[in-house]
Amino acid sequence: MSKRSINGSDFAAMALLGADYLQRNAEHVNALNVFPVPDGDTGTNMNLTMTSGVRELRSKPSASIGKATEALSKGLLMGARGNSGVILSQLFRGFSRSLAGLEEAGTAQLAAALQHGVDMAYKAVVKPVEGTILTVAKEAAKHAVQYARRTSDVSELMREVHKKAYEALQRTPDLLPVLKQVGVVDSGGQGLVFIYEGFVRSLSETDGNGYQDHYSMPSEAAPPEEVAVPAAKPVIRKQEPLSAQARLTTEAIEFLYDMEFFINRTLSGHTGAFFDESAYKRALGKDGDSILVITEEDIIKVHVHSRKPGDVLNLSLPYGELTDIHILNMREQHRDLLENEHVDVSTADFAAAELLAGQAVQGVPPGQVFEWAPFGIIAVAIGEGIEDIFLENDVDTVLSGGQTMNPSTEDFVKAIEALSAEHIFILPNNGNIILAAEQAAELSERNVTVIPTRTIPQGLAAVLAFKEEETADRNAAWMKNAAEQVLSGQVTKAVRDTSIEGVDIREGDYIGIKEKTIVVSNASLQEACQSLIVSMLESGGDLLTILTGEGAEAAGTATLCEWIAEQYPELELEVQNGGQPLYPYVFAVE
Amino acid sequence: MGKVRIVTDSTADIPAEVRERLGIEMVPLKVIFGQETYLDAVTINSEQFYEKLAQSTALPTTSQPSPLEFAEVYQRLLAEDAESPIISIHLSAALSGTYQSAVIAESMLEEQSDITIIDSKSASFGFGMRVLKAAEMAQAGESKERILDEIKRLDGELKLYFLVDTLEYLQKGGRIGKASALIGSILNIKPILSLDPDGVVLAVDKVRGSKKAMARIVELLKHSFGDEPVAITIAWTHGDDTAMELCELVKNNFNVQEISYTTIGAVIGTHTGPGTSAVFMYRL
Repeated sequence: MSKRSINGSDFAAMALLGADYLQRNAEHVNALNVFPVPDGDTGTNMNLTMTSGVRELRSKPSASIGKATEALSKGLLMGARGNSGVILSQLFRGFSRSLAGLEEAGTAQLAAALQHGVDMAYKAVVKPVEGTILTVAKEAAKHAVQYARRTSDVSELMREVHKKAYEALQRTPDLLPVLKQVGVVDSGGQGLVFIYEGFVRSLSETDGNGYQDHYSMPSEAAPPEEVAVPAAKPVIRKQEPLSAQARLTTEAIEFLYDMEFFINRTLSGHTGAFFDESAYKRALGKDGDSILVITEEDIIKVHVHSRKPGDVLNLSLPYGELTDIHILNMREQHRDLLENEHVDVSTADFAAAELLAGQAVQGVPPGQVFEWAPFGIIAVAIGEGIEDIFLENDVDTVLSGGQTMNPSTEDFVKAIEALSAEHIFILPNNGNIILAAEQAAELSERNVTVIPTRTIPQGLAAVLAFKEEETADRNAAWMKNAAEQVLSGQVTKAVRDTSIEGVDIREGDYIGIKEKTIVVSNASLQEACQSLIVSMLESGGDLLTILTGEGAEAAGTATLCEWIAEQYPELELEVQNGGQPLYPYVFAVE
Repeated sequence: MGKVRIVTDSTADIPAEVRERLGIEMVPLKVIFGQETYLDAVTINSEQFYEKLAQSTALPTTSQPSPLEFAEVYQRLLAEDAESPIISIHLSAALSGTYQSAVIAESMLEEQSDITIIDSKSASFGFGMRVLKAAEMAQAGESKERILDEIKRLDGELKLYFLVDTLEYLQKGGRIGKASALIGSILNIKPILSLDPDGVVLAVDKVRGSKKAMARIVELLKHSFGDEPVAITIAWTHGDDTAMELCELVKNNFNVQEISYTTIGAVIGTHTGPGTSAVFMYRL
């Protein structure tokens, strides 16, 4: 029996399964990172983005497709993390706008909505790059618009969309040479294909037909997880009959308690314990996922999915008083939704209030009057040393994140709202965070300028160019200019064998990255550093700053400094403890 | 009417031989190391001071000349020639009570006198240059009015920038002024320091590393002077190479007609610390 239209409930089921497919394959998507660096996180970012979207959707169940897609869009927009996450949120933003006001949608309307999403996403990205999630979405949407003329069966249309998206994904290496070199398909595009796959399966279930029976893809284009990916972990795909899928999906929520609370360091007598954010996160990670810890002054926001909420609370108690504690059972939520029962109203309010409640994070009690500062600066950084350097140099808020954890649009919005400043600058300090920051700037009603810093060294150069007494425009221009004057380099360990731009890389080697190019791979950390420095100083420079991170040893650093002093006697050298994870050394040449 | 006499204080950082040649009267400020008090540029010279500073565990302090010490100088000059107008030019009143002492001294005098006391709103050669010009004019027999006009004109003609190794001395001595925001940074930040129109220390800009700092100074000076003919004075603290590097850089980038050198004396040095270098540039 074919389905001629879908309503809000149908769409919710689709989105939920889409999110589920993405979540289960997040690691696979992570492994598609072009650079063999240990922090490939497109899958994590897209998953967290989608999770936020679905959470919002669940909190506002509606039979109207217009309302349902709007809820998803809002959740995605706020939860957007990383470039792919931001693009995903824009795709569904356009999608939902196109369906606004509709109770249900048929093939023509869905196809138009997909196309609208693509248009929106292309507009949002300053320089759209083909061979990415954009291309995958675009080709799928284009095909949908054509195919919708031939069919009025929504399931069939979505199957075509998924098929076309998958085919477009396979062609991404032809469009983006770097993908071909490394032998992967685009990670963001892969994430989208997983979401579409979830859509298709959800529709097939409600058809009463197993998806695979109707799956018409040629065998060589079979399930996307069989794409040759070097060192990618095998993707575990459940092969149970699809009628059982729904139940399984619920049980698949392993870390079932969705927890969110604040640790207030100033309340109660428990302020003694030193809060080591990374150790705390590691502790949460032992039995949890979707971990998010945001420290703002004396208030720590914690989000985690855990099997044992009691353990999480006990772990947190020594650091201060716990406030605004929300614990949701995600399986319960999921069952409710699938059984099409009423979602507990108070729970829905909870989740809906989450976005608003988040704005109470700031340490300023309501009613108190503060004079606003002319400027505020938000920087993204990870590593205690780097955070301190930023905080000592005019930065008001450091959002924890960067190479391993990208802050979401919502994190930025909250940080913006928490600052009592007329004009706010954001230093993303990572190429993959810029879009989320820009999206936050757009969503916020405050004056926000994103200085598109791609590295920590660029961010440091930018804050040093900041002058309190100058205008916002001039500061923005100077900070941007200062960031462009810095050459950034970083050293990390390769996570797989590959060959990129003529450099052969073996897993476990240290790779030196100059700006965006891998210039060296060497089993010795010392030699990798030296080669990278030589390359960075090719066109001169007066000052070399070294930020030491986890994995850098004092003796090794001393040897490196001696070598630099010998090779470059004129060069000024400054070594700082950055404390960043995964990258033993970050270099800046100015 | 007698010849105009010029009085200044030790913080003008004018070398002794120049003072003698031009007949400039200098009232010394004091540097105090624990129990010992030294007269700046009289009982302690720049070299001795930085040696002592390196050995001393506690930071020295400084003090302005007493009104009496000023009065004695004024009285001596008036005794030589009661008709002589006196122009007394001093360290920024925002940085020191020296100017205040001079003003009190004048009010204490019982003799009939014509003394003009000027708050230079500057420090070191930033006003030393004006003292020199005034002295040259006085020697040439120019009138008090013409000399005062010239001092006023020169006020806006000079730019000074200085670099310190650390802001610690400016901070501990309480002279950090508007550069205080830069204190306490982990990064080796080099503030480009100057004095504002009121003679208060201010950080014009901040960069990292001394090479960048020098390049920035050149840029700032270029903005003011372009390729006009200029005179420069380079001031340094004992045993520091940065000033020479700065001097070379400035020489190569400007139409420099005159160069002079001076050391930063004990009193200024107490507040800026070792490793201070300064460039003073003015239009010819």
